[in-house]
Amino acid sequence: MGSITSRFQSEAPLHPAARAFLADAFDRGWADPSKIHGESRQASILLNEAKETFASHLGIRRDQVEFLSDPALGFHLGTSGLLHGSSQFFYSAVDRSEVFAIADLHSGEKIPVALDGSIQYPEGGSTDLLAWQTINGETGIISAAPTKFPGRLFVDATASGAQIPLPENWSTALWNSRTWEGPAGLGIFAVADEGIWRNPLPHVDQKISSSELSIPLVMASAIALEAHMRDYADKRDALSTLNAQIRNFLHSEIGDVDIAGNASTTVPHLLSYSLLYIDAERLVNELDRRGICVDSGSACNATNMEPSHVLAAMGLLTHGNVRMTLHNQTTPESVEIFLQELKTLVEDFRN
Amino acid sequence: MELDCLGMRCPIPIIKLAQALKTSPEVVLLSNDPATLPDLIAWSRMTKNQYEILGRDRYLVKRL
Repeated sequence: MGSITSRFQSEAPLHPAARAFLADAFDRGWADPSKIHGESRQASILLNEAKETFASHLGIRRDQVEFLSDPALGFHLGTSGLLHGSSQFFYSAVDRSEVFAIADLHSGEKIPVALDGSIQYPEGGSTDLLAWQTINGETGIISAAPTKFPGRLFVDATASGAQIPLPENWSTALWNSRTWEGPAGLGIFAVADEGIWRNPLPHVDQKISSSELSIPLVMASAIALEAHMRDYADKRDALSTLNAQIRNFLHSEIGDVDIAGNASTTVPHLLSYSLLYIDAERLVNELDRRGICVDSGSACNATNMEPSHVLAAMGLLTHGNVRMTLHNQTTPESVEIFLQELKTLVEDFRN
Repeated sequence: MELDCLGMRCPIPIIKLAQALKTSPEVVLLSNDPATLPDLIAWSRMTKNQYEILGRDRYLVKRL
């Protein structure tokens, strides 16, 4: 197996700025911030500084920032905490499986999604709940904000990070530190109005979750967020150009390809497409042997052997699927090498 | 003609279907792979062919 020349998979290593800061963070932020010793007070101050950073980038107040050491728990907190008695729960066919699992418990109503990824939101009542994904993590399609929905709104920002602003009518919101090249195992959860939200978890005090939190990782994540947003502002245009280049190449040089969304409906750093008559597992393995890492939503790559529910819900081809994330570090050269390798492999597979 | 792809995983049923349609304008496809129905929908749109569901794991595909 060759060394890695290009990473296009969704997960990214910790941002170098956060990595450089980690040892210092563990030196300074190890103490329990709820105690009154000097070192605990310092940890508490550091935690508040991190909260300030998250609040300013995510568009919430500092006192609304809640850390979760299990980001997926936020789906339950954000939705179940807003459902009361007669509430109807609306969610879309491209939402994450975690949302599906909660909807199963509450007889949720699944809203279909069109081929272009657009969603017709329900009218709903004031106590109804809508789960809304800012962007879809598989396809990169940006979802129009349901600003007219009169009920409660759970915002799943786990794929967009700080890149999509919260709509004014948000009720609860969830982010994942990994989105901004921060450490894994850290979610950020926020509640807009404490009056309508009830903690669905058994809890002993005002804390939302009683699981232990690593302050050094929170500090590293705040550093990563700032650095990532700076990088992204610089690289956004370059990533858009690369994204357009890949789309053009797929249509003109490879053909028989089903690409999710278009340049104006997707974020520039995510791209999903399916190649007709191609076995995705073989393709991913062959690319990996050439030092190129990509993801796939095809059934043969899933642990349950089911095709991606997102692709199936949109009516996109589910076999031969390739999912790519263009990172701030992605170069035009690595994309060019990838495209040529892909073309050769697809021609070889199809013959 | 009838094309038995029962037990075969994606994308084999769709590959065999496309091959079969080269010689036969209508094919009855038997396939129980969970990706077959979503892929038939997408494949029909992409290749401008037509399909209909005849029953469980049974599809009629027409070349246009």
